[in-house]
Amino acid sequence: MPSQPVLSLQSVTKSIDTGTHRVDILRGIDLEIHPGEFVAVMGASGSGKSTLLGLLAGLDSPTTGSIQLDGDEISRLGEDALSELRGRKIGFVFQSYQLIPTLTAEENVLLPAELAGETGEQAATRARMLLTTVGLQDRLDHYPVQLSGGEQQRVALARAFMRKPPLLLADESTGNLDSINGRQILDLLVALNSQEGATLVLVTHDRDLAALATRIITLRDGLVVSDERKTPE
Amino acid sequence: MTFASPAWRMAWREARASAPKFAFVIFGVAAGVGALTGVRGFSAAFHEALRREARTLMAADLTIRQFSPPTPAQDAEAAKWTARGARLTLITETISMLGADDAAPPVLVSVKAVDPSAYPFYGRVRLEPGAALASALTASTMAVSDDLLLRLNLSTGSTVKLGNAEFTVCGVVRFEPDRMTGSLNIGPRIMITRDGLDRSGLMIFGSRASHRLLFKLPQPGAPQRIDVQQMRDSLKKAFPEAMIVDYRETHPLITRALDRSTTFLSLVSMIALIVGALGVATAIHAHIQQRLDTIAILKCLGARSAQVIRIYTLQTLLVGVAGGLAGVMVGAAVQRLFPVLLARYFQFESIPWNPSFALEGMAAGTLVALLFTLPPLLAIRDVKPALIFRREMAEVKPKLAARLRKQLPAFAAAAVILAGLGGVASWLAESFRMGAWFVGGLAVALLLLASVAWLLLRGLRLFVRLSPFRLPVALRHGLANIYRPGNHAPSVLVSLGIGVMFTLTIFLVQKSLLKEVMGAAPKGMPNVFMINITPRDHDAVREFLDSRSDYLAPPRLNPLVPVRLLSVDGKSPDEILQPPPGQPPGQRRRRGGCVRQVTWLEDRPEDIQVRKGAWWRKDDTAALVSVSEGTAGRLKIEPGMTLRWNSTGRDFDVRVAAIHRVQSVRPGADEEFLFNRAALAGLPAQYFGAVRLAPAKVAGFQRDSYRRFPTVTVINAADVMNIVQEVVDQTALVIRFVSAFAILAGAIILASTVAGTRLRRTRESAVLKTLGARRARLIAIFSVEFAILGATAGLMGGALATAFSSTLLTRFLDARFQFELVPNLVTILLTTALAVTAGWLASIRILGQRPLEVLRDE
Repeated sequence: MPSQPVLSLQSVTKSIDTGTHRVDILRGIDLEIHPGEFVAVMGASGSGKSTLLGLLAGLDSPTTGSIQLDGDEISRLGEDALSELRGRKIGFVFQSYQLIPTLTAEENVLLPAELAGETGEQAATRARMLLTTVGLQDRLDHYPVQLSGGEQQRVALARAFMRKPPLLLADESTGNLDSINGRQILDLLVALNSQEGATLVLVTHDRDLAALATRIITLRDGLVVSDERKTPE
Repeated sequence: MTFASPAWRMAWREARASAPKFAFVIFGVAAGVGALTGVRGFSAAFHEALRREARTLMAADLTIRQFSPPTPAQDAEAAKWTARGARLTLITETISMLGADDAAPPVLVSVKAVDPSAYPFYGRVRLEPGAALASALTASTMAVSDDLLLRLNLSTGSTVKLGNAEFTVCGVVRFEPDRMTGSLNIGPRIMITRDGLDRSGLMIFGSRASHRLLFKLPQPGAPQRIDVQQMRDSLKKAFPEAMIVDYRETHPLITRALDRSTTFLSLVSMIALIVGALGVATAIHAHIQQRLDTIAILKCLGARSAQVIRIYTLQTLLVGVAGGLAGVMVGAAVQRLFPVLLARYFQFESIPWNPSFALEGMAAGTLVALLFTLPPLLAIRDVKPALIFRREMAEVKPKLAARLRKQLPAFAAAAVILAGLGGVASWLAESFRMGAWFVGGLAVALLLLASVAWLLLRGLRLFVRLSPFRLPVALRHGLANIYRPGNHAPSVLVSLGIGVMFTLTIFLVQKSLLKEVMGAAPKGMPNVFMINITPRDHDAVREFLDSRSDYLAPPRLNPLVPVRLLSVDGKSPDEILQPPPGQPPGQRRRRGGCVRQVTWLEDRPEDIQVRKGAWWRKDDTAALVSVSEGTAGRLKIEPGMTLRWNSTGRDFDVRVAAIHRVQSVRPGADEEFLFNRAALAGLPAQYFGAVRLAPAKVAGFQRDSYRRFPTVTVINAADVMNIVQEVVDQTALVIRFVSAFAILAGAIILASTVAGTRLRRTRESAVLKTLGARRARLIAIFSVEFAILGATAGLMGGALATAFSSTLLTRFLDARFQFELVPNLVTILLTTALAVTAGWLASIRILGQRPLEVLRDE
């Protein structure tokens, strides 16, 4: 692929200490993800999928190895630089939504813009537009506890796209939903992704959902065991 | 509500949604600030009341006494102060003979000439019949003490002759506020005007008289203000030979009551504030623990640590200010409540609400709350956004140096907290030294408690692991709860321990202080004195005293021997008292070699404290003396030295057995030197009697005494002693009351500290219930956990309180410390009970929750 990769990983490992012994979660990952790709990361529980996603997002640092986002080395960046980078370049959708319970739907969607200092009417308009896109125009003032799981995940989707990030990371984003709601969310995710032109990395157990991706990476015991690219039909 | 800054907006939104949870934090700050402002406001009013009493005892704010009339230069100096708003009146006291008619012999009287339009500045001269002094006393009238009426068989309206002038008796002086601070209290008292004094012609050049200048300073709120110390210093230069006294030192008991209660009350308010802040810190810590996910999400969404810290700092500030406002209201209520509750015992004038105390309280409360929440706020930096994926798992453990480097901000925060608290403590106590001790004590306590927590955790783990027998399930789980990773036992232990330490400190300090304060004015302190009892009358007076039974304390009849100090270990007092260059000899010399009326004592009275050496045994045959602390300091006397004395031409040597401190005032004999019987044996003596009577019985006693012993003068100090006794009782009452309030507030806050930890047990309870644990078992598990934490905190807090209160008592309150075992044991039991009960109460909701509700939220 001729374009510069959005994400590039070289020999990435990650170990943690459980208190009694050391666990190697990732044991040497080499990977490149290019702009516009829709990548599904699959693997059994404990294979290291979520840890990998966390490293890609700069939520955590690798024990060894290097990770580059848009050509910039992020594996040794400080916490604040990483936060700033995430705010600018990465959108997240989590399995358990991770909305802030004390904020309304609209406030949750606005949050990334506010943290970046964008507090004008323009940001509020975009937040409402995104909530309308996900079908929650009449739930703006609702708190997360007043929304169903599917609705909460839609708010999380709208929030992920708020700052038009070039990279979108989704961690089992339909895992907590029934199949109908799950499918709706994924359709929305894919639609918004193509509308906003971002690169999408989706961690999932679900083969059917993974089938929608253009590339499927499979992990086992902290290693990439397969990396399949779909040829365009 | 909208805010321009995103941090403010976030802080407000979070606080708005967490309002019920913040209620406790607000309560913590409110309790602390309430105690601070309430106690400070009340203590200011209490001090004002004490000072009023002190001023009453001298009828002025400041007095100058000398044995010559003021010179023109001295008048000019006094005028300087009246020009600045002070009021001045002159009193002249002298001794003269007063006659009624030719039938009765004239009587030696003590004359007091006043300007009734100004005198007394404080208090009131009570006359019988009840006319005001200003209207009853004119240039031709005289108010007299009741014993004069008895002696000369007079009544109101009779005519008497003093010097060259005749006066009409206008009434009997029932109470004279400054009776004990005047001089020349020999013979019955008569009071005349200054014009009357002139008319009498008593004051001619060279007449022996004492002149007192009484000043009243401008009242608070007056346009002019005078600093009493500055005034005193300036007057001292113009009146070098005079005795200058101001209201801060009228009566040693009142002065000490003032000093001690000031220190104690500021101590209590500081402690209340710190215990309140401790509650706040625990609550904010728990709040942030609950918000770890939110913080991680915020970081995921691009928030920098500083931004998140700002959000939660602003939130603390919001809550701190809200709590502060609530506290100011509580304080205002407390300030009003105290006098109402104490109204039965003593009269307060209305306590004005002082906005500066309110502002100070708010500022101190918010500052201390912020300082105490610094550690949980700084811990936000360590929240990893990856927490969303992986909970409660440590990274590979970094090296010690790296760990220490990481802890640097925490150490810096600790330094800032201690310095800040030191600042607040110094400010509240108005003493840098006290602030430093306070912070030092806190730092040591924190270190010790943290070490004990560390040891406890490791000890329990070892105990459970190495225990040879299988422990019951509830015990095993309860113990494991304390040391398992992620548990907050160390922070609970430290908070609880510090809280217990401060609360028990209040109790221990007040207990020792009360003992001292009550000892200073023993219930049996005499209030009526008989002087000029000759050896010839001794036995008859003894019999007279023994014949009555209406005393409130056994009567005393003590000898008075006139003695003069010749030398201290061979050196004359004048040699020792050489004034520093440039200072005139005057008073210092007089005090050294003057004639003193001394007495002997067999047993040590309870209001006399031995500071050095030892009191004698009753049967000691050696000649011994005990010297008061102040005099010993001035004359450089130490136990073991020999003092040579002269009495009526006979020299004798006495060994110094002890150095003492007199806690109360007992007119009659010199209290600077107290002898044993052997020292004064065989010397010619006069006697004085001291009895304690109910004020209503005094007049009858005086009458009877005069009838039997016309030459014996009876001094009625009942009213004055009543004031002193009241001050002491009031101080004790206030100390008890404020302590009880602070201890109660402390207990509530401590209970809430324990209750604040319930959230982390929610999930564990849900899991245990899912696995089949019944409520009783859960309660047993929690009880073991809290009982151990409570008992350890009680034990440590008790030990620390003992050390801390001993420091405070001996260094700041000038009182003795005694180890108290019972309060320490009770503290351990109470803290354990408190922790377990608070734990149960806080867990009621958790126990009732369905496990799925909790687990679904995870």
